[in-house]
Amino acid sequence: MKRHRKRKLTVIIFIALGLSATVGLTLFALGQNMNMFYTPSQVALGEVGVGQRFRIGGMVKEGSFFSAPDSLKVKFETTDYVHAVPIEYEGILPDLFREGQGIVAEGSVDDKGVFSASRVLAKHDENYMSQEVKAALDAAGTDEAIQILQERSSK
Amino acid sequence: MWLWFAKLGSPKWFYDVSDRWLPWLAGAMALFMIVGVIWALLFLPPDYQQGLTTRILVIHVAVAGTSLAFFPLMAVAGTITLVWKMKLADMVAKNAAALGAWFSFVTLATGSIWGSVMWGTWWEWTDARLVSMLFQFFLLLSVVALRSAIEDTDKAAKACALLSIVGCINVVIIKYSVEWWNVLHQPASPLSMSSDNANGPEFWMATGVMIIAVYLFFIVSLILTTRNEILQREKRSQWVQDIVRAA
Repeated sequence: MKRHRKRKLTVIIFIALGLSATVGLTLFALGQNMNMFYTPSQVALGEVGVGQRFRIGGMVKEGSFFSAPDSLKVKFETTDYVHAVPIEYEGILPDLFREGQGIVAEGSVDDKGVFSASRVLAKHDENYMSQEVKAALDAAGTDEAIQILQERSSK
Repeated sequence: MWLWFAKLGSPKWFYDVSDRWLPWLAGAMALFMIVGVIWALLFLPPDYQQGLTTRILVIHVAVAGTSLAFFPLMAVAGTITLVWKMKLADMVAKNAAALGAWFSFVTLATGSIWGSVMWGTWWEWTDARLVSMLFQFFLLLSVVALRSAIEDTDKAAKACALLSIVGCINVVIIKYSVEWWNVLHQPASPLSMSSDNANGPEFWMATGVMIIAVYLFFIVSLILTTRNEILQREKRSQWVQDIVRAA
């Protein structure tokens, strides 16, 4: 390679490296602000102040869902399997919402640690399965098999 | 070593070789595209959670994956332009930006439609994956704008080359946004036959066909626009005038 070309290439590589480092450090400095939501553990350990608006993301705890018979009010707990945070919400839930499903809720916590949500979104994981396969697995009583698969892929 | 590199940079050589390859590539593209689209949109079995809405994802994943190839391609071409001043590299890069903007737009549109049903929202400004993809869309549009703002072809090529190298950093951010931060968007699913893959083969095989189809579409489109660019920029050369006269 000719000398002036080598010099140009070196300059380009330095520009690319310098920019990458700048962007990398900026993103690192932004830290928690780059996250869309706090986890239930972060909320339970008091990382977010009372009354402050934020989003919380976790799984809907099995057996924690209650809905009022005469209104759209619902209560459930969201968990990351370490800590659970109770959530109150009034409104329409997305189709994917159910126990064991990942959700993101927007709102704030009161001094009793109850999160009152103004919006609830459903998360979808990276696994897809046809209704037929799911039905076959359920019929064979191998719900555990799915869980093992899902746990393995989430690691 | 440098001989083939110099040969590759010759617009005439590229024009001749691409002429021979195009029918094969276009034929393969048509085949994969027809099979992929019909399979994905008409025959993919409903997902147990999403129902038929999952069919949008096959298109979304294929287009989104391909849209990430544009900045690396433009950056490599840009580096060749800057260091070796190869004309062909810039001819390839020129139309890639607009094409990439379209890919990004389709990614954002299909994703939004899916999200409006499944997540319960069309758009979330706090989701790093969504916003970094939108950023790529704007960056590609700005490469197009930058090119048309500078009249001198060589200067425009150099400026666009630099912006393309910068844009590559965003591709890394898009790719890893779902792993580095908490976001609403799901992480990438494995596209493999290994037992780690919790997805049914009906999903990843349809997606695989669609990814190949969209990649071929990207390559064929790029070759076609590059050939146009060659004819336009080399219009004073003897061999282009021969072609025009023959046609």
